[in-house]
Amino acid sequence: MGWTSQDDLIDQLTNNGKGDTVVTTKTLSSAGTAGAWTLLAGHAGYPPAATFTGSDLVYVPTDDTWSEGTIYHGGNVSTATKHFLSAGAACVAAAGAPWYIMAIDLVGFVPLSGTNVSTTGTKTVTMTALGSGGGTGDRYANGEGLRMFVAADTALGANAPTCIVNYLDTGGGAGATTTFTSTASMGVGQLLNTGAAANKYNPFLPLAAGDTGVSDIVSLVWAGTAHASGTVIIGLCKPLWTVPVPATGLYNKVDFVNALPSMPRIPDGANIQFLLFQTGATTSAGTINVDFMYGYGG
Amino acid sequence: MGFPAVSEYAAADEAGQTWISSFRKAVASAATTANAWIDYTYFAGSPVANFYASTPLTAALVEPDKGIYTGGNVSPATKHLKNLMLMSSGSTTAGRQQVALCDYLLYYPFIDTDAIGEEQVFDNTVTLPRYSSGQVVAVAQSAASTLGQFTFSYTNQDGVAGRVSQVNFTFAVAGGGQVVNASGAGASFNPFCYLQAGDSGVRSIESVTMSAAGGGLMCLVIVKPLLITQGSPPCITTGGNSFGACTEFASIIHQAGAPRIVDGAVLGILATGYAGTLASSFLSGLLESTWG
Repeated sequence: MGWTSQDDLIDQLTNNGKGDTVVTTKTLSSAGTAGAWTLLAGHAGYPPAATFTGSDLVYVPTDDTWSEGTIYHGGNVSTATKHFLSAGAACVAAAGAPWYIMAIDLVGFVPLSGTNVSTTGTKTVTMTALGSGGGTGDRYANGEGLRMFVAADTALGANAPTCIVNYLDTGGGAGATTTFTSTASMGVGQLLNTGAAANKYNPFLPLAAGDTGVSDIVSLVWAGTAHASGTVIIGLCKPLWTVPVPATGLYNKVDFVNALPSMPRIPDGANIQFLLFQTGATTSAGTINVDFMYGYGG
Repeated sequence: MGFPAVSEYAAADEAGQTWISSFRKAVASAATTANAWIDYTYFAGSPVANFYASTPLTAALVEPDKGIYTGGNVSPATKHLKNLMLMSSGSTTAGRQQVALCDYLLYYPFIDTDAIGEEQVFDNTVTLPRYSSGQVVAVAQSAASTLGQFTFSYTNQDGVAGRVSQVNFTFAVAGGGQVVNASGAGASFNPFCYLQAGDSGVRSIESVTMSAAGGGLMCLVIVKPLLITQGSPPCITTGGNSFGACTEFASIIHQAGAPRIVDGAVLGILATGYAGTLASSFLSGLLESTWG
């Protein structure tokens, strides 16, 4: 459970130490793309740059013990529940503003490389469907509320194929995302399904009508002219919150205690990562600082 | 149904019954008129530009991909606006906009504003897809050279045909996408056309008649306003100093209830700056919907 009252919240924080503040920073390794979103996990900083190691087309679940770089947020607290209390962000870059920073819980990913990127056709994924067993791998029961994106793991080559992802919904029924058109030569972390052009979806791939989540990634289908090179991931995540950043150097803070719905939950095992939206092309070496405070009761 | 309790409004988030989309629109380089309205759907970006390019004088629906994606149809649940964030940038006058989030319903393209005295009759084979009526916006589809005047014949919110609007003015604009309806001899800029006294909405438009030439092309668009709010000052860095803020609208907290987004809605934004031109500026936003 969370807190029973505002008194309980302040008691748990000030007397019992059930909460803390986290500070992270990332530095962009390449210039961004105007109007597109970028997954910051692959960029240097704290946590360190992730390379999304794994076997091609095999789903890799991630949690707060992921060896490639995740944020420590106090460990497991069940049967208590952990929540965000506030979050702040700032960007320092000569170009790119205004920005939005979105926190996500990256539940897992599917890596694709080699001919799984440089050829068209159906790329079948190996994944055990998320259940409702209460483990950290299925911390969102049956994938409820999960969203998908396709991001560059390493910079992509020429060409812009179309792409669709087939999945199972929260009830195990087959579904398919809306088809999107990729963009040639996107840099590390940039979401192929986003941007300021036709057939882009920002930041997540639309699910089939009525679907509220994803329990299993079945396949990715490229069509048209394949990317000449590069590696990508299919990301599976839960959106948590968003902080707007109006201009370079401005710090913006969001209070979740007095918001509605209030205090987004951090499930045990959450792998907290960040997506960046940029109005213009953010300068290479631009710095993104994000902090948040969390707490738990019980 | 919607949300019978605040707890269920919050629970929808846990149940994945929300969708979040970002959008980014880049106003074209042609100067816009200070204090007049613009139609952001007309400009490039995400969603893609909506040029109202279809058969002249024939009613048509705005394609879904021209609107901000909100998560698809959810019936029998009802979908609502949960959060809206807006930031403008690119020029020192881009901010401080009055903003109207609208559901774009039906449009009548390529009206010749030079056709003085000629009744331009519309084909209404395609009818209003949502709601029983809406407000009328006149959107320029080209530059316009001078002050024009027009009235239009329409069917009102109660289904009464043969209603005739008050005289609406158009004015000179440098390019398409600018809202050209005005009153007060063309100097009082309005988002929506003036209707016959006593009417609150329009179900269909049967014809339009220009009584003074406007020197351009325009489109009449029927929209349903969902939310009218204000944009903050522009997000800029100049002289080494940064300025700006994000407009954040949260349903329930900032107003009672949450505006409804009906299945099939095509959401876009009308806006007016308070000073100078919005040319070459950007509007970047985030829209979150939720359903019960």
